[in-house]
Amino acid sequence: MQTTHPGPSREPISLSFPRIIPRPKSEYGIWSWISTVDHKRIGTLYAVTSFFWFLVGGIEALLMRVQLSQADSTLIDPEMFNQLFTMHGTTMVFLVVMPLSAAFFNWLIPLQIGARDVAFPRLNALSFWIFLFGSLFLNFSWLIGDAPNGGWFGYAPNSHVAFNPTNGMNFWVIGLNILGVASIAAGLNFIVTILNMRAPGMSLTKMPVFTWMTFVTSVLIVLALPVLTVALIQLQVDRLYGTHFYNTAAGGDPVLWQHVFWLFGHPEVYILILPAMGIVSEILPVFSRKPLFGYSFLVFAGVAIGFMGWFVWSHHMFTVGLGPAANSAFAISTMAIAIPTGIKIFNWIGTMWGGSIRFSTAMLFAISFIAMFTIGGLSGVMHASVPSDAQQQDTYFVVAHFHYVLFGGAIMAIFGGIYFWWPKTTGYMLSEKLGIINWLIMLIGFNLQFAPQHWLGLDGMPRRIFTYAENMGWENTNMIASAGGFLMAFSVLLFMINVVYSARKRVPAGDDPWDGRTLEWSISSPPPHYNFEKIPNVEHRDDFWFTKHPELIAEYYHDEHSGELTAPSGAQFDDDVAEEEDEHSEEHHGDDEHGHGGIHLPDMSYYPIILAAGLTIVGAGLMTAVPVIVIGTIVLLWGLLGWSFEPVNDPVPDSH
Amino acid sequence: MSNFWNKLLYHEGRGWWDLPRTQWQDPNPQMEGPFGHGIAPIKRTWEIITAANYHHGTPWFYVLIGAILSIITIVEVWAFTWETLGGLLIPLMLVLSLAKFILVVGFFMHLKFDRKYYAWIFTACMIIGIGIFVALLLLLEYGNQTQQ
Amino acid sequence: MAAATGTYEIKNEHGEVINTSTGLSNKKLLMWSFLGSDVMFFGSFIATYLVYRNRSLVGPYPADILDIPITSVSTFVLLMSSLAMVLALSYIQQGRQKMGTFWIFSVVVLGAIFLLFQVYEFNHFGQVGLTPRTNLFGTTFFILTGLHGAHVTLGVLWLIFLGFGSIKGSLRADNAIDLEIAGLYWHFVDIVWIVIFTVIYLISARDVGPPG
Repeated sequence: MQTTHPGPSREPISLSFPRIIPRPKSEYGIWSWISTVDHKRIGTLYAVTSFFWFLVGGIEALLMRVQLSQADSTLIDPEMFNQLFTMHGTTMVFLVVMPLSAAFFNWLIPLQIGARDVAFPRLNALSFWIFLFGSLFLNFSWLIGDAPNGGWFGYAPNSHVAFNPTNGMNFWVIGLNILGVASIAAGLNFIVTILNMRAPGMSLTKMPVFTWMTFVTSVLIVLALPVLTVALIQLQVDRLYGTHFYNTAAGGDPVLWQHVFWLFGHPEVYILILPAMGIVSEILPVFSRKPLFGYSFLVFAGVAIGFMGWFVWSHHMFTVGLGPAANSAFAISTMAIAIPTGIKIFNWIGTMWGGSIRFSTAMLFAISFIAMFTIGGLSGVMHASVPSDAQQQDTYFVVAHFHYVLFGGAIMAIFGGIYFWWPKTTGYMLSEKLGIINWLIMLIGFNLQFAPQHWLGLDGMPRRIFTYAENMGWENTNMIASAGGFLMAFSVLLFMINVVYSARKRVPAGDDPWDGRTLEWSISSPPPHYNFEKIPNVEHRDDFWFTKHPELIAEYYHDEHSGELTAPSGAQFDDDVAEEEDEHSEEHHGDDEHGHGGIHLPDMSYYPIILAAGLTIVGAGLMTAVPVIVIGTIVLLWGLLGWSFEPVNDPVPDSH
Repeated sequence: MSNFWNKLLYHEGRGWWDLPRTQWQDPNPQMEGPFGHGIAPIKRTWEIITAANYHHGTPWFYVLIGAILSIITIVEVWAFTWETLGGLLIPLMLVLSLAKFILVVGFFMHLKFDRKYYAWIFTACMIIGIGIFVALLLLLEYGNQTQQ
Repeated sequence: MAAATGTYEIKNEHGEVINTSTGLSNKKLLMWSFLGSDVMFFGSFIATYLVYRNRSLVGPYPADILDIPITSVSTFVLLMSSLAMVLALSYIQQGRQKMGTFWIFSVVVLGAIFLLFQVYEFNHFGQVGLTPRTNLFGTTFFILTGLHGAHVTLGVLWLIFLGFGSIKGSLRADNAIDLEIAGLYWHFVDIVWIVIFTVIYLISARDVGPPG
């Protein structure tokens, strides 16, 4: 009994789906961006979009700083202030730090692991478009003057329809759910990419640390975001259809939302910071001109943080009254998670120790990351102590803490990463002179703004108040903080000036301006469409650097090559290595020709943007009317079916 | 790691237990493992019905698993009607549904036959999920008691 | 780990070279990771149900309304659909197209029967006076089982799509992986129901409201 289709040809039978718009082919123009599936272009789209939201979130922050710079200010009314801090937090977490990290993932992961694209290019494009539409959806609330006002954590009985009847929180709930879909899709994609698309020879222990941290982050995204999705769905059905998940009048638990939200929220904190740690771990060795100190410890610490991050969530809730046993348990686990973080900091310092350091802009940002993150981490350990936290809860001390971690940590590292990889992505350098001024002003402005908030917090100034009385003695400190805020804004302006200035000057960067270590520096800048002409063969950790400096292999790999090291002639040893490398690469090149029949990249597709649009219309329909949901579903199905029937490459030469 | 267990458990004369040669070291021993020849017929039957060489089972094997699942479900419903169980009901139900869960995941989803990678991924997610949700339930339960 | 270059080329059970570093199929890895994600999704809802167990302020309570015999039948139907699914995959992998198509559509039919049971149950509960707005039990029950039903619906649509592919011949032994990942999804939905049946129906069917 054989197949019922014994037909003459073994060609796969392709079903077709009517195409309304022809599949774009041109590599230029707006359509090529809309329908792109190239990971580098998607990375650029992520970067530009999230930088735009970075400016929006920054303006929101500045408005709050202006309001708080003097006592009894009446510039902004309390309702507006609520909307501002809610949207500032939501924007910075979901629309800035996460997608900016995603921009780095997209640009760098295939380049660092020696792949030509991610595992699922169209899914990757889908993630971006859903993110874009979700972010527009969320911010659309500003236009109707009804922005979310329940805090970025949206504590439930407070955000329930009984206490918060306006539309703002609906925008927040549905917008974040849309963004969650994008994050989960991207997370799944990067898990598969990192596990499955590595160049031959790159075992897990030879991956760059940034790739490792991306992997841990992706796992956290994939596991943590569903918990947020559930909380949001529950709040959404409560708000829109009158169910009782968080309705205290019907017996709903007022603490449940906090638990579920922080079950997501604490892993989320590590989703924000782990990519930054990865970026710093790439910058430091390059500019210290020596390999990363304690690679395995650094990686292990990252994985340990990713795991332990699940079991500390209740430290956000010490003042809720969970009882002494629960509080102690979470205090201990919170203090314990400082251990892997401390290991990382020691490793970074160890990397710099004894290196011949070049203080480029990227390096300065990376070093200030270590310093600022350590300060933020230490105040974090202070919160881990329950009685101390009871004093600090909901004061500006907490605000200072998480800005030291998220701005001094994540954003500093991301700016360092931008200065570091800009030459690779564009082919020309960013001005170092402007860059160093940018760094200096950002560092001063940041500390000016947030260091005084420690004192304000200990002095009892509560968070989220729109103003304070004159006799509290907080005016001068707040004024200094506001000045610092404007200094930070100026530094971001300098960055943009730098971008424009450097784009005009176009100082060519060359393939490897920094004496880089990882595979992305081995190809041209900007990388060609297909990344690697020949998939590289990886022998060592930091393989590209050791290819450039073969004489250093023996120094760092004395374990593996101990036999050869005893040989009197170093030259003999080098030849051996070179020979081996040639052999492998030839071998693999042959396979590649055989397997792929040359380089095949997926064709462009516009179905991702249609699918994303459909999803967003359904989200909008949930808030408005059933017909909109129907229209959204139709668009969604159109995208889904078109996607399913569309071959990855049009003439179907692809065999795998 | 596997090297460690080999050294610990198998006595091929090179490990830590430098024991004399035994019949188990024949080039093709009939049966390996702790139960020796005793379970050989069972194992042979097992290999036939699961078609172990092809990394999936035979249709009859799946029907057998389906039958076992049905029987467990019937036992569950029957045990539910048994009023005298009292406090034992919940543990019994959890054990029975755990058995069903493992049968479906292991055989229908091929985790038993497939590469171990998939099993690790799924188990890791289950461990984190069960860990945090049990912790959550305990926390809320405990919080309620202190309020009363 | 020793043969560094050997890791790239791994043959699968059919002797084909899989072009990935781990030797695992991209699609299957994606599906398993997604299922891990879905574990957290349903885990959160089930945890919410358990938190709110016996905390409804007004009736109807589970003991007044849950019908174990009927749900046992629908549970049995879903279990058998899982069996049909694994048989469909087995036949498609062997190239036995007609048997494969038959079993795929058996899964579709059984899944649809399960959904009809659910529609009947929801309707019946609505008539007896339990809606998502009635009490905490109604809220948690309807949203959890409703979202499970949405997963089943998605699976049914996916399998109809694949069933027609099998008829047309675009789903064959060489791309049986497409059916395999749909099968993984289907079995996962089945094990979620195994947990829901135990937790909502068997364990709490005698709950008569808050103590005291």
